[in-house]
Amino acid sequence: MSPRTSNRMSDREILLECRDLAIGYDKPILEHINLTIARGEIVALLGGSGCGKSTLLRTIIGLLPPLAGEVIVFGQSMYELAPEDRSRLLRRTGTAFQQDALFGSMTLEDNIALPLRELTKLPQSIICEMVRMRLALVGLPGMEHRMPTAMSGGQRKRAALARASILDPELVFCDEPSAGLDPVVAAGIDETLLRFRAALGVTLAVVTHELESIKTIADRAVMFAHGGIQAEGSIDELAHSDDPEVFGFFHRVADHPAGAGATAAT
Amino acid sequence: MPPSPTTIRRDGRSAIVHLHGDLVVQTARVVHAKLRATIRRRNVRTLVLDFSYAGRIDSAGLAVLSLIHRQLAQSGKQVELVNMADQHRAALVLLPDDGARIPEAVIELGTLDALLERLGTGLLELRASMVAFARLVAETVHQLARIVTRRARLPAGAVRHHLEVMGVEGIFIVSLLSFLTGMTMAFQGAVQLQRFGAGVFVADMIGMSMVRELVPLMTAVIITGRTGAAIAAELGTMQVRSEIDALSTMGINPVRFLIVPRFLAITVIGPALTLIGIFVGILGGMLVASATLDLPAVTFWARIVDRVVLLDFMHGLGKSLVFSWIIGFTASHMGLRAGGDASSVGTATTKTVVTSVFFIILVDAIFATITTFMRHG
Repeated sequence: MSPRTSNRMSDREILLECRDLAIGYDKPILEHINLTIARGEIVALLGGSGCGKSTLLRTIIGLLPPLAGEVIVFGQSMYELAPEDRSRLLRRTGTAFQQDALFGSMTLEDNIALPLRELTKLPQSIICEMVRMRLALVGLPGMEHRMPTAMSGGQRKRAALARASILDPELVFCDEPSAGLDPVVAAGIDETLLRFRAALGVTLAVVTHELESIKTIADRAVMFAHGGIQAEGSIDELAHSDDPEVFGFFHRVADHPAGAGATAAT
Repeated sequence: MPPSPTTIRRDGRSAIVHLHGDLVVQTARVVHAKLRATIRRRNVRTLVLDFSYAGRIDSAGLAVLSLIHRQLAQSGKQVELVNMADQHRAALVLLPDDGARIPEAVIELGTLDALLERLGTGLLELRASMVAFARLVAETVHQLARIVTRRARLPAGAVRHHLEVMGVEGIFIVSLLSFLTGMTMAFQGAVQLQRFGAGVFVADMIGMSMVRELVPLMTAVIITGRTGAAIAAELGTMQVRSEIDALSTMGINPVRFLIVPRFLAITVIGPALTLIGIFVGILGGMLVASATLDLPAVTFWARIVDRVVLLDFMHGLGKSLVFSWIIGFTASHMGLRAGGDASSVGTATTKTVVTSVFFIILVDAIFATITTFMRHG
């Protein structure tokens, strides 16, 4: 990480900290993970498919206990909290899942209003207005009564972002927000994320491997490979890294060129 | 195409295999068997594959080479490929690049080892499943207590919705099957009992069997198929689509939001449908008895009122309540444990039906044993 980035971060409140974290199901997928995310940052968590970044996200958002180490969110160790306290802590965060995770049996309005209806005592009129405003912010105005099944992939991703942010969380996690979308729709998602930060001041941790997206939105990136953190720093630093794997990631160099096999041939 | 006439020649500690013809889908199995038999010999340290007369190689042929290469590497032996044509070298590009990394699955366990491993894995999975089930029951009770003490609230309209879906829409099928069962029993009973001049006891038989045994059991099986399977499929799909994870990350307790309303609804629906089924079943029997035995409906009903007491109703409805809880918890547990892909939803649904019906019949047998001992012991 560059000194400039370190100085900038040290001025800000740390919202998320992973301390010597080991994550996985039976065996560790990632180990010795130490990372921090400061207020107002957009941090990209990068890595090739299957490197463990989505599993790390599951651990960070309280769905998969770590094998070792601590996840500290807003200064509190997530897995040392009682379930009720952990739920309260999670209400200060929002998560947009890779599969959008919209409830198929509910309209878009009901989906986005769900956290408000369940966790607040706001009257329906205010809730509906909040939903209307948030849908406009993510570029889905007037779609309150649509069912998720009647929406395109890009629209569903935007709706998932709207639901993740409806309680005005301080920290939003996005898992592959623009995966599988065409470049125009993906650019729209990126723009939405930037609007979130500008309008709501949210901090974003974005799991992705979309290069264009990373370059557009991220202030900083952490790259995972070989069971740990491979590199960390600004996007420029990583793009010009001496590490062949990091360089290869940013410049789309195949890691198994054709003809590399045939070890048996003599 | 006939199998490849591969020949094998020994040269000291090497086995030289002359591959003849194509090494393709049609010949791969035979060649693989021959090569495997060769490399199993203890005194063979090096396998030489001579491609002088080899023809085309396809993916199946390459898979044979890859497997043999890995199996040899595993036992510290070597393979040499000689006299290859350009087309063979070109095909080798598709081989995995690191023969040293042998996946665990390739290690073939002996029959007993494999059996023990499967048994151990099965037991560990059973233990994990039982722990998760116990946690689900405990959490449901905990959330119910929070709702009763007004520290948490039910999702608006959820219980009513489930009552409608599980109950109102199930009345017809439960009534129809109870009615037909009542009719069938009356027909069968009438034929048998008339032979002894005891036709009037058809009413006693139908009343007791419907109230205590048949309708509670039959209704539970119908609820398992209709409602239990639906709960498992619904929760399983939500799990696969990360919707339950989404609830957790919103700070909404999934058990309170999803399980408690279904649990409350099924608690009401089980006994309610059973009660309806009992009366409709008795009605079916009454109609047949009136038609075939000349037993007036009033007499039939009077015998039932005289014979079937409140305790019998409590027995039947109590059982249906326990059956409903079995179905509700089993379906919820199986649904929540689904995950990964769509097939897990199908598995969860099947397991729900099989496990629920098994435990329903088991509990029914326990009820019957206890009540028999209480009466006669």
